Amino acid sequence: MMPDMSQVGEAETQEWVPNASAPVVMFDNVSKQYGRINALTGVSVALSGGVTGVLGMNGAGKSTLFKLMMGKIKPSGGVVKLFGEDPWKNTAPYARVGFVPEHEKMHDWMTALDFIATFARLHGLTRDEAEKEATRVLNFVGLSDVMLKQIGRFSKGMRQRVKIAHALVNDPDLIILDEPLQGCDPLARTSIMNVIRELGRMGRTVLVSSHILHEIERITEQIIILHNGRLLALGNSYAIREMLDQHPHKISLMCDNPKKLAKDVIDIDEVKGLTIASENNLIIETQHFGLVHAKLPGIIVEKSHNVWEIDSPDDDLQSILQYLTGG
Amino acid sequence: MSDKNNVWSKLDRKATAIAEFTMRQYRTRISTWVVLSVGLGSMLLVTLFYADAMNTQIEAIDNDQDSYDWDGDGYPTGQEIIYGTDPYNQASYPIGIEPDPPEKWINEDDFNWDNASFASISKVGYDDDGDCLREGQLVSDSQKDSNGDSIPCNIVLLYSNYSNTLVISSDGNVDEDPDDEKYGKEALHRAFILGVGKMGIVYLLGIFLPLFLATGLIRDEMANGTMHFMIAKPIARGEILAYRMLGYLGIVWPFLIGLCLLMALVTGFLGPSESVFRLSDLGMWFTICIAAMLVTLVYGAIFSTFGILWKQGVVLAIILAAWELGMAFVSVLAGGDSAIQKFSVIGWGLMVVDAGAAVVWPDMAMFIEMGNWGGGNNNCNWESYERGGCGSLIGNEPLSFFNSAHGLGVSNWIAAIIASLVLLTQAVAAWFIGQSLFKGKEMDD
Repeated sequence: MMPDMSQVGEAETQEWVPNASAPVVMFDNVSKQYGRINALTGVSVALSGGVTGVLGMNGAGKSTLFKLMMGKIKPSGGVVKLFGEDPWKNTAPYARVGFVPEHEKMHDWMTALDFIATFARLHGLTRDEAEKEATRVLNFVGLSDVMLKQIGRFSKGMRQRVKIAHALVNDPDLIILDEPLQGCDPLARTSIMNVIRELGRMGRTVLVSSHILHEIERITEQIIILHNGRLLALGNSYAIREMLDQHPHKISLMCDNPKKLAKDVIDIDEVKGLTIASENNLIIETQHFGLVHAKLPGIIVEKSHNVWEIDSPDDDLQSILQYLTGG
Repeated sequence: MSDKNNVWSKLDRKATAIAEFTMRQYRTRISTWVVLSVGLGSMLLVTLFYADAMNTQIEAIDNDQDSYDWDGDGYPTGQEIIYGTDPYNQASYPIGIEPDPPEKWINEDDFNWDNASFASISKVGYDDDGDCLREGQLVSDSQKDSNGDSIPCNIVLLYSNYSNTLVISSDGNVDEDPDDEKYGKEALHRAFILGVGKMGIVYLLGIFLPLFLATGLIRDEMANGTMHFMIAKPIARGEILAYRMLGYLGIVWPFLIGLCLLMALVTGFLGPSESVFRLSDLGMWFTICIAAMLVTLVYGAIFSTFGILWKQGVVLAIILAAWELGMAFVSVLAGGDSAIQKFSVIGWGLMVVDAGAAVVWPDMAMFIEMGNWGGGNNNCNWESYERGGCGSLIGNEPLSFFNSAHGLGVSNWIAAIIASLVLLTQAVAAWFIGQSLFKGKEMDD
């Protein structure tokens, strides 16, 4: 019998073999201090599969959590594991991770294709493979028509999608997105949310951070709430919603005739209170945010109101968190 | 065929990806082009002075003052001496002989030092103009052999290993009116290559290119917030530093090679030579290029480490550059005699050049001794005092200033190899410190 020559030859250095039984992300009593400031205190969480929203105010510890996962910073206490490995010491698990940083800065002088293909080669792909994969992911995020343009000329939403495409190029099992929707226009938000949901459907472990609850709700049911560096709640959004429903939400509408709009909106059963905050601003209070939100567009169109912005005031999450912490 | 997709080939792909990315990044920055143009421009500017010197006739000095007709009889002194007539008596002149033009008695007794060596005793010199060998009552045989080696009209070179000095003992009127042009051009040419090579290319470019180009290799990426893309990949931070360095070298090394080639061409065509092109100096430019490449490698590793250590790492780099400037002068002035230069990068870099010069120009030490002697005491006239040195020929001073011995006490080749290895070790050490600092750095902004 002919010997299999391909098995004879130079020895290959052992490649990193992931521990299949380990959770994708595991935090065990992790703390992080900056001087005397506690950025994260005693966080324990294990995640595998599905889309998880990480919700918290600015400074709640979302980015610290992600930086620990990405081995950018070292935990002050506790154990962080990524596919069973310590990410501070071993970068090998990143072969299965895609990371979308919060930072706005990118290599503006590169074209989208160039940028993604170049960094794909850091996963060990050849030039041709990298270009093929880059084209694939750019297509996936809907940027294939502009992939030969310089990133510096892209809009905020397009830049975010380039970052997401860059994180997907290695076909990762874990995708971490730090505030991917921040600063995006509604169209970009929708397309990015679709991309994230699609990734969840593909069975990937996805972590998305945001400081806007309703954004997260539109993406996923599984939510982690961080507040002042502590893990406040971990669970599915139905459970959280139950808590939240006992707490009034505010919806702010910018329109040209708030008084007239108020008359029409008062007919919705779930509306609990109405405030005309200024000559163009109507604020609706409700305990059934989703229902009101669903009924609003119909009323606006039917009664031909001119509404140019629907928003949840920034203090919304703050008040919810205060409510949750019993403050 | 075996599977090409193993860990090593992947490593190679990462290396080329980062190096390529780094080089393209350099190319998009105006600062890169400014730094390289200033480097090239300043070297070309200095070369203009060299070209001017090579195209200017060096004034032929009558070192032995025998071209003058003191007594006004129409015969220059030198001609009267070999015919035995009295140069100070108008009535005494060679009869039936046409008087020589005075120029014939300038630069008429050039060096005949081909046999010169630093062996304990060597005998050189030939009396081209015959003013020592002349027959007649004015000079006796014992006067023709004042150095007493039983050979009339020659020069004895006595080298003392102990005091490291060469004693030049001439019979007098031998090689006493050397060709100033020939010596001067050769000396200035060599001095230019050594001077611009050591101080211009190896020191100035060697330190300023890395100062402007390497300090930000890691620091700028961290400050810009674009490092996140790179460190979120399955690649060690030490590798990132190494491959970024590769990209930096990919810009700086071709520049240095191109510059050295250009300088080799210019000096090859303009330098004194019997053929159109002076091939013999190519080895010198090769050595300078290698030394500059090694030095930019070491400084690059050190400065990028400074950048990792501290955002204002350039301050540390400038402090080091000042120390290195001092060491460069120590090396040029004291050569291998000083030990302190071994605590620097530039000291070893210049040692590579010195060792190379000793290989390319094996006659260098003797050439300097020769020009310094410049024909002996006869040469001590007011003109030589005005030049600032009795006896030394034009070009001798800059050449002996820029030329140094490597001083390692081993053969030139071995010295060059040792100095290069020391530089490589320094680079690896700097990289090692840099990557461990980088590894321990919390990327928190």
